[in-house]
Amino acid sequence: MQIHDIGNFTAVRAAGMAKLLPYKPRIAVGMGTCGTGNGAEGVYHAFAEAIDRRGLDVQLTRTGCFGFCAREPLVNVWIPGRPLVIMHQFQANQVDVVLDDLAIGQITRAHALCKIEEWDHLTSQVKYGTGLPDIPSWNEIPFFKGQKKIVLRNCGLINPEDIEEYIAVGGYLSLYKVLIDGTPEAVIEQIKASKLRGRGGAGYLTGIKWEYLRKAVSDQKFIICNADEGDPGAYMNRNEIEGDPHSLLEGMMIGGYVMGATQGIIYVRAEYPLAVHRLGRAVEQAKKYGLLGENILGRGFNFDIELVEGAGAFVCGEETALIASLEGRAGRPRPRPPFPAQEGLWGKPTNINNVETWYNIPPIVSKGPAWFTETGSVKSPGTKVFSLVGKVNNTGLVEMPLGTPLKDFVYDVGEGGVNGHSVKAVQTGGPSGGCIPLDMFDTPVDYETLAQLGSIMGSGGMVVMDEDNCMVDVARYFIEFTHSESCGKCVPCRVGLDKALRLLNSFTRGAATPAALDGLDELSRMIRDTALCGLGQTAPNPVLTTMRHFRHEFEDHIRAKRCRAGVCEDLALSPCENSCPLHMNIPRFLQLYKEGRLEEAFESVIMDNPLPASTGRVCQHPCDNRCRRISIDEAVNMREVHRFIADSIFQSDKFDKMAELVCSKKLEPTGRKIAVVGAGPTGLTAAFYLALLGHEVTVYESAAEPGGMLRYALPEYRLPNSVLDREIELIRRLGIKFICNTPVGTDVTLNELDTQFNSVFISIGTWKEAWVYLAGTELRGVMPALVFLASVAKKEPLELGKKVVVIGGGNAAIDSARTAIRMGSDVQIIYRRERKDMPAIREETDAAAAEGAKFVFLAAPHRIVGDENGRVKAIEVVKTRLGEFDSSGRRRPVPTDEIQRYACDTVILAVGEAVDPDFARASGLKIKESGTVEVDRYTLETSRSKFYAGGDVITGASNVSNAMGYGKKAAKNIDQRLMGVNRFDKLFRVFEYSQHPPAQVSSCGRHTVREVDAAERIQNFEEAVAGFTAEQTMDEANRCLRCDIRESAHEMAG
Amino acid sequence: MAQKVSIRIDGEYVGAKEGQTILEVARKAGKYIPALCYMEGLSAVGACRLCIVEVSGVGRLLPACTTPVQDGMSVTTNSEKLARYRRMVVDFLLSERNHYCAVCVSNGHCELQGLAQKFGITHVHYGYGYPKMPVDLSHERFVLDHNRCILCTRCVRVCAEVEGAHVWDTASRGIRTMLTGELNRPWGAIRSCTGCGKCVQVCPTGAMAEKGWAVEEMTKRSDSISWLATQRGGRE
Amino acid sequence: MNKLRLATVWLDGCSGCHMSLLDIDEALMGVAMKADLVYGPLVDAQEFPKTVDVTLVEGAVSSQEDLEKIQLVRQRTKLLVALGDCAVTSNVPAMRNPVPVKKLLERIYVEGADVHPGVPSNGVPKLLKAAVPLQDVVRVDLHVPGCPPPAGTIAFVVGELLEGRMPELSGKVRFG
Repeated sequence: MQIHDIGNFTAVRAAGMAKLLPYKPRIAVGMGTCGTGNGAEGVYHAFAEAIDRRGLDVQLTRTGCFGFCAREPLVNVWIPGRPLVIMHQFQANQVDVVLDDLAIGQITRAHALCKIEEWDHLTSQVKYGTGLPDIPSWNEIPFFKGQKKIVLRNCGLINPEDIEEYIAVGGYLSLYKVLIDGTPEAVIEQIKASKLRGRGGAGYLTGIKWEYLRKAVSDQKFIICNADEGDPGAYMNRNEIEGDPHSLLEGMMIGGYVMGATQGIIYVRAEYPLAVHRLGRAVEQAKKYGLLGENILGRGFNFDIELVEGAGAFVCGEETALIASLEGRAGRPRPRPPFPAQEGLWGKPTNINNVETWYNIPPIVSKGPAWFTETGSVKSPGTKVFSLVGKVNNTGLVEMPLGTPLKDFVYDVGEGGVNGHSVKAVQTGGPSGGCIPLDMFDTPVDYETLAQLGSIMGSGGMVVMDEDNCMVDVARYFIEFTHSESCGKCVPCRVGLDKALRLLNSFTRGAATPAALDGLDELSRMIRDTALCGLGQTAPNPVLTTMRHFRHEFEDHIRAKRCRAGVCEDLALSPCENSCPLHMNIPRFLQLYKEGRLEEAFESVIMDNPLPASTGRVCQHPCDNRCRRISIDEAVNMREVHRFIADSIFQSDKFDKMAELVCSKKLEPTGRKIAVVGAGPTGLTAAFYLALLGHEVTVYESAAEPGGMLRYALPEYRLPNSVLDREIELIRRLGIKFICNTPVGTDVTLNELDTQFNSVFISIGTWKEAWVYLAGTELRGVMPALVFLASVAKKEPLELGKKVVVIGGGNAAIDSARTAIRMGSDVQIIYRRERKDMPAIREETDAAAAEGAKFVFLAAPHRIVGDENGRVKAIEVVKTRLGEFDSSGRRRPVPTDEIQRYACDTVILAVGEAVDPDFARASGLKIKESGTVEVDRYTLETSRSKFYAGGDVITGASNVSNAMGYGKKAAKNIDQRLMGVNRFDKLFRVFEYSQHPPAQVSSCGRHTVREVDAAERIQNFEEAVAGFTAEQTMDEANRCLRCDIRESAHEMAG
Repeated sequence: MAQKVSIRIDGEYVGAKEGQTILEVARKAGKYIPALCYMEGLSAVGACRLCIVEVSGVGRLLPACTTPVQDGMSVTTNSEKLARYRRMVVDFLLSERNHYCAVCVSNGHCELQGLAQKFGITHVHYGYGYPKMPVDLSHERFVLDHNRCILCTRCVRVCAEVEGAHVWDTASRGIRTMLTGELNRPWGAIRSCTGCGKCVQVCPTGAMAEKGWAVEEMTKRSDSISWLATQRGGRE
Repeated sequence: MNKLRLATVWLDGCSGCHMSLLDIDEALMGVAMKADLVYGPLVDAQEFPKTVDVTLVEGAVSSQEDLEKIQLVRQRTKLLVALGDCAVTSNVPAMRNPVPVKKLLERIYVEGADVHPGVPSNGVPKLLKAAVPLQDVVRVDLHVPGCPPPAGTIAFVVGELLEGRMPELSGKVRFG
């Protein structure tokens, strides 16, 4: 039907409305590319078949995507008079249930995501109906809350292949309005007043751009829609077109009329077949209805739209390259001026706008500029569609008012990091954009602010990154992209990006020198300042921003040759090794054990980790989280394997032989004397390696026996002293002198050490309880966790009550709780966050619960109440609720008004430990604000020459393996400084063992350790967890996939 | 008649005509601005970026070869930053492909080599890649050595704009961009080539040369091509 | 006054730079007054001395032997000069770089051999994957390009170094 007057228009509108809100139920399957990719096609056919089979009177149709990609396929189900219900993660086998319910007038709740009672299409309203109070309204669920759909006003609701549905929701009314009573000048004024800015990324004012073309004098003018969306991870334009192609056409028709162009061209990515198809259909239908072609709507306006499929070059997003491509030439940009508005396509004045810009036109014309500027920020009004992807829970297309803080995207709409991982950056603007770090998440997302941070808005890609993303690799990835998409015309982009990529590759291979960082910086600035077109000028942004905000990651790659995220494979043996603070060669000892070579397995273990039996029991096992076996079932239980290997030697007659073997590895005596201050895990580790390197090592310890936290903080049931004693015995045999009961700082001064030793390593622990402001801490019965644990370990007399409250969620809290239980007390653990946020090892928390510890979560201590004798009688806690995410990626607990009281007679505070401030002050070393000793991150040198520090004294309270990692690193660096060369590697021999991955993946599941029954184990301090059996150990060794094996190393020399 | 305008170049007032580029005006006024892809008489493409200049009030650096003068414009042709960036351009070109000056027919007459000397470049800063590049010896009189090609496209333009044959163009993208003739044929098999040799004469390096010359022997006559082109009425 | 300890090293190059050095003619006398030539193809010393003030290096780093040698030279030299295009750019020795070493050796010693075809392996140093300029493997303090650098340039460079000045080469040297 040709529309040439308002009468036809109204008739078509009514026909469309009858499809949108029919007398019968309507089911619309979201069939954008994203839905189809998740099985929407199958869902649609299942519906079609079932409706047909049952002879139901139900209208089935296709629609575009409603945006929630993580929950595809989405299906809209509507019963007349009721709200439209959006069902998510819909599969074909759910069709029958839904139809069964529909037959009795019911909506299936199982997959209902949300409902829509009334929808504002902006160009009109649609009232679906009311009811279904148990289903949340669409804007009540986190993903949609805060979104405002202007561009996506029709997406996922109407059938994109039916012009009548578009007209039903007010489509082409804006065009009609413009043609009936709008002068071009008036419309341009409207667009100017709306301050609409180009959504392709540059953010130029659309109204001004239109005015240029309007004023250009020529026999012919062109308008072009740039739909050559090519940023990795961005698909806004695709979904917009797939969901609502007619809005684009209408925007262009208005533009054509206003700017005096009779020809519009849509340059669309050929890789978007569905978008191309739907656009093609839309153009066809528009022609059929008299909306395109001659004498449109009977108003004497001629306009046609042609589709041109892009040839797949990213650079064709640049307007002069796009024009070259349209003219049939290679897509290479040319310098401007002349600007396209002067000389564009075929030399004629031309206007180019991005897809999304055109989508904003009909609503602005319909509702006026004042309405438009209500949304967004002053300089950037309106909304922008972003594709929120990456390491975030809710991925999808989100349309947010401009100026919305970045954190709202990540934490509200996106609902935070995946698997509880903490988000560290967001990359905006694709290859032309940059990375914005966590501490800048308050940044409002608009053109200017992002530009200030060195990024750009771009077309709206937003990639969330967490601790598993290596920022050097991210920079490398984007440069690789622009490098391969550079047109090759100008020198800075063609050659400069090649040089930049080579440098970045050398970083990720660990082959770069510190000077390369400055080289990359200069290179990036040069390309940015001198490249011919936008591609080259913005290509360095990912490098410049990551270097600015994540410089330490670059330095890690260069100076330490480490990639913390474990992404850069050349810098790690395997993910487990990379995550291990001691960098144990885990695949090696697993394989050696597997080959029945127990003694060599032990040798491998002990040379990597001098306290393997202790760490085998108490290590935080970061390796578990990284094991690639997780993709099959669960991580290999690596910690328990090395515990077994260690125990097999330490508790057997092979001990002496193996100790001798270790001692035989000692290098020639160097004559250098080194003092180690503190015989905790850090100090013991450093002493072990320094002694092996041939130095004369003296260890000072304030307590009666070496071991530090291992002996005095870790309870006997977790780590029996007998186990620790064996390990220390081996270390002693290397000829290390231990001077106990001698606190450095009081009994011996650092100055004395300075004169007596060639180098001093400080590795004291964090024995002071962190200061906490809490009324009542002076009461009898209140004690810090470490004091409590040490008293128990030293078997000192202790006044422990019957009802104990432990405050905190770390390992010290759980250790205190389990110790108190063993001493016959009732224990309650109070923690301000949720259980999943507890830093304690999960197994320990579970064990505490099994032993009867009660947990109170989301509660912070308010005050401790004493009785008339000055003894604790209760604790009051204030309930918390979880607020915004903090820098640890966990939600910050916010106090509420609710106070609860728990009767108790003892309160153990386990809220963190710190370095003894008196020592720190007396040491004369430079101390950081956090109260820890300042060191060079890579060498561990302190501000005082000859003095090194590592472990808790530089990090604050941490864990055993982290502490030991510092000990190992310190030994290597101290030796290198003293001897002038790197001799550390000389300590480690080469092992020959199988370098073939298992022919068949072991089908065995992960073994867990045998725990003594809770009721029994709380009776005493006997070790609560028994290690593996030999069989279990072999099973675990067999489960290893051997990610350490690479294809044969590249030939280095001919 | 084009409007007369006045601009300042490095502080000196210079008269110019509207429509002229900064480079044209500067060269006429005897101001040196380096360039490799630009050649008088051919259309300007702004590809080598050596002629970048600073224009006061404009945040970006602009290529002098394609930026038209505007009345009152103040241009700086040299600064610490411009010099550094220009050195980097030459540095890039020296190491992009394989330039063995010592054994090149154009040794001593090469514009790239000359610029390196002029800029005091004693070594490259971003490493060599040693790409494998073909040498096309198929033409009876000319040779095309891609090792020495800097993709300035002067040959492309002289052939299309002056000779009218449009034998040459560039193919592929980014660092893989290559000069290509006709439908990627060897030079000797290109039927549209008239054998005029203009491309050889405008080539700033030894990438295109006449056969039969030994090291240092090939001199080019790009000036006469410029003269020819301008006499024929300038660029298309 | 202590004489400056000067060394010259010949890696993968044609010896042209050394010839050019000899071409400085009477200026050699001046050099001899102020410096001792402690190592190089022109003198007898077998081993590179422990400490050298200035070493002029000709040639690219092409083999494992070159690599080890230049690393040793770097350790023992205060000021290292890359002399000539091979040392500065790897020049002609680099022309083999686009060809994989294995293919290269086979082409020359097997396909191209008239008698006794076979890749030599005994007593010859292993070729590196690529012949590279000095700066790719060690820190270089001064680059003097040229093939060879003209005698005058060398005389100027050595003269300045003997006077304890870093020569200013801008505009004075060129590749090729």
